[in-house]
Amino acid sequence: MTLDEAVAMLTSAQADLDLIARGLPVDAAEVADMMTIADEDSAEMVALKCLAKYNPTPQATINNANDTDPEQQ
Amino acid sequence: MAAPNTILPGFSASLWMQTSSTPTALSTANLSVWTAQVATIVGTVANGTGAAGIALNVEAVPAYGQDDAVASFGVAGSRQSDKIPTQAAPTSLTITAPWNPSDAALLLIRGDAYSGTVERTYAIASVSGSTTIAYAFNARASEFKIDAQPGAEAKCVFTLHPRGNQYGWSNT
Repeated sequence: MTLDEAVAMLTSAQADLDLIARGLPVDAAEVADMMTIADEDSAEMVALKCLAKYNPTPQATINNANDTDPEQQ
Repeated sequence: MAAPNTILPGFSASLWMQTSSTPTALSTANLSVWTAQVATIVGTVANGTGAAGIALNVEAVPAYGQDDAVASFGVAGSRQSDKIPTQAAPTSLTITAPWNPSDAALLLIRGDAYSGTVERTYAIASVSGSTTIAYAFNARASEFKIDAQPGAEAKCVFTLHPRGNQYGWSNT
């Protein structure tokens, strides 16, 4: 599924967005890129934030892992 | 895009609803979008445009948001038991309004209640000067009744049942 299709599905849904976003695997980097240009007060941004929650960028994943690594503390 | 930065008095809240007897409720994502979406339901007195909405003149905006729901666990030998939040329903809004049989908003609510299947977007707008924060939700109406006791003005009472997960916060 392309990011455009995923965003279109989320912006038109009358249902739980989190539940839908969990089942939409998209390119995390593409989501992050789109978020830099999307209007903050738009349905697209709401959809992208949901997708980003379940498709984190690799860098965000690494940072999160470091945050909980006892070796780092 | 700033929300009000002050403690809001209760009377700063007003209730708005989509017009049309066959409305198209906003999508869940659009419930969180002020510009051209929620703003069209909220009237100009609450910093919206009001192009697709009207005010519901209610006595008071009731509590809104999320009901409580917890599961309680007890472990033998432990001093304290545990409470874990579980799946919670949205809060139903039981509303009292002065009964004017020609009020356009109340006529729509009455029709929705008799239908039981009409889904409409409502918005509760809390205003501080030029800033507004809105809680928008899709809901169906039920329990529409008239209280015409002779000692006071006639009132109508109805309940809005928000659909689960179909809510959004937005602000000017």
